[in-house]
Amino acid sequence: MDLALTDAERTFRDEVRAFLGDSLSPELRRGAALTSGVFAEPDIARAWQAILEAKGWLVYHWPAAAGGPGWTRVQRWIFEKECAEAGAPVLPGMGLKLVGPVLYTFGSDAQRAEYLPALRSGEHVWAQGFSEPGSGSDLASLRTRAVRDGDDYIVSGHKIWTTQAQFANRLFALVRTDPDVKPQQGISFLLIDMTAPGVTVRPILSASGDHELNEVFLDDVRVPVANRVGAEGQGWSIAKFLLENERGGSSFAPQLLADLRRLREAAGPFVGEFADRALRFQLEAQALEMTELRTLIEIDAGAAPDPRSLTTKLIASEIRQGIEALAVDAFGLAGLQLPLERPFYGADAPPPIRSAEAQVAVARYLNARAWSIFGGTSEIQLSIIAKAALGL
Amino acid sequence: MNIAPGDEQVMVRDMVRRFLADRYDATNMASGPMPAEDWRALGELGLFAFLLPESVGGMGGGAMEVMIVAEELGRALAVTPLSDSVVLCGHVIARGGAAGAHWSEPLAQGDAVLGFARGGIARAGALSGAAGIVPGGMAASAFVVACETGGVTLVEADAPGVARSPVRLVDGSIAADLRFEGARCVPLDISEGDLSAAVELAELAIVAELAGAMGTLLDLAIDYVRQRKQFGKPIGSFQAIQHRCARLYTLLEQSRSMMLRAALVRDDARGQAVTEAKAYVCDAALRLAEDVVQLHGGMGVTDELAVGRGLRRVLLLSRLHGGSAAARMALAA
Repeated sequence: MDLALTDAERTFRDEVRAFLGDSLSPELRRGAALTSGVFAEPDIARAWQAILEAKGWLVYHWPAAAGGPGWTRVQRWIFEKECAEAGAPVLPGMGLKLVGPVLYTFGSDAQRAEYLPALRSGEHVWAQGFSEPGSGSDLASLRTRAVRDGDDYIVSGHKIWTTQAQFANRLFALVRTDPDVKPQQGISFLLIDMTAPGVTVRPILSASGDHELNEVFLDDVRVPVANRVGAEGQGWSIAKFLLENERGGSSFAPQLLADLRRLREAAGPFVGEFADRALRFQLEAQALEMTELRTLIEIDAGAAPDPRSLTTKLIASEIRQGIEALAVDAFGLAGLQLPLERPFYGADAPPPIRSAEAQVAVARYLNARAWSIFGGTSEIQLSIIAKAALGL
Repeated sequence: MNIAPGDEQVMVRDMVRRFLADRYDATNMASGPMPAEDWRALGELGLFAFLLPESVGGMGGGAMEVMIVAEELGRALAVTPLSDSVVLCGHVIARGGAAGAHWSEPLAQGDAVLGFARGGIARAGALSGAAGIVPGGMAASAFVVACETGGVTLVEADAPGVARSPVRLVDGSIAADLRFEGARCVPLDISEGDLSAAVELAELAIVAELAGAMGTLLDLAIDYVRQRKQFGKPIGSFQAIQHRCARLYTLLEQSRSMMLRAALVRDDARGQAVTEAKAYVCDAALRLAEDVVQLHGGMGVTDELAVGRGLRRVLLLSRLHGGSAAARMALAA
């Protein structure tokens, strides 16, 4: 047993570190540090995506057969760790982390040829059409209908909580193609052109004042049958694959540990109650890092993912929310300033009181409340753990 | 990175696991100190030598070995003097020169128990002062004492001037309220760094015993909520119970991670990682033990079930060496 990096892993880490040192500009770093939402917005996300793609590392988590660099899980972890430590932007995951793996796993040759290059180049920007007003945790109850009409489906319905849909030109959506079978069996997975007639995006302002979320209305939108991924009725199992990939695909702890370190630098040193809180989240994040590593190392050695991997999203949500709450408190009343202008970086940023980190703190706190809701609420996570890990 | 145990480590782990499984189950776990003949039998199997340095005839036991053995003893909720006697005193003696060398073999064989104490003032070969409550201290044949005046010294338990009275502790083990009154002592030739390293290994053993105990207690709870019926159904079918169990599972896996991390880091980073593990796992283990009692309802608070006794053992382990409070203070400093 040895937790130290091997010589090869250390060489790889140094290569990643050198690349980040050369490629991550102060503007990108600052943009990432002062992003109030969950993902970087197009101005910095596009620039960083292009840099990574040029290096061949954008789809670092894809297998070689799908165009990835063929890294081991531990290499992917090292890359994520270095990116987090360096303060790189967090790219939106809807394309790269969600629909990308679905396409290379379930897509037809034609779909892979059309969509994967456009995803990597940034030509296609994806949004996720899963939740509906009546279908949150009970996703299988979704009601958006797709009715066959020749070589097309006619799609009608109402999607919600669609992150960054205002920047997207493609939507992957779960739709009901058969209302007469068990709910899970009547669902299909469609790729929808958001520029098509009948697609309307309406913003939902978050409590933070940020515009991250949207509603997407689909009114008799024509979608070619060729845009269905997998068979008719296979949508639910594809969605399960996607959600598992969302949970297990990348590690949470590196970003949490790096953000906590940066908070200490910006608002520390912490004493008393603040020190206790910071230590509590640090210990939890250090444990999470090892929990994630154990699973990655086992997968590299050929094992199936251990059920412990089901715990990480729940734990990460709580640490994330704890860190953001600590930040708000650590900055005092300056941590409660909430100007309405966005973004908090760049030439047009509102003038911060005390510091830019204080200015972004409460928006980040408010947006982080969503961590225990999106991608399966914490209550759903607990139920999954009880069932899959404990057999209850 | 590689976290799989080696062949020899797996062999020893399986050996110890079998030995304990033959003797302990839910009916007798944690119902008192391990009988001396069982302890001696573990010594004869070579278990303690596995944990000791080569310089005293051991097998070079390091952090991984200590973790593996302690986790198994914890899994059986065994009440033993493993951490202080074998690991801490064993490593101090091994590095402490000739003065304590005569205890190495009895320690490795399981024939002798040593106690570790802090306190007392050593002057001209005589030690005086209170040394507090020493776990396992009534059975100890000698004491390794870190003196108030600095330095580490060895005191034979039967020497004149060793005053000890028994204290029954919460896990049923017998500690000694220990006081020295001019007791003959022999200084051990050990550096501060080597003493710290021995203490770190002992604290890793405590963490691993706790992690092992957590696994057993959660297993018992899951079995129980599957069997126990109320309102016509197993209580494990209720979401309130399921979510409590799921929380305990995350605590268990996070604690195992902290344990592994502390065992696997480079030697020069171990002190910090062990302190972090202690800060996390002592709290997590106690919370899990308390919740497991809750899941057993009224039966959980009786002396009849392993879970009530397990809570007592976890409470003791989680308070040794200052527990999480001392660890948190050290980390905040």
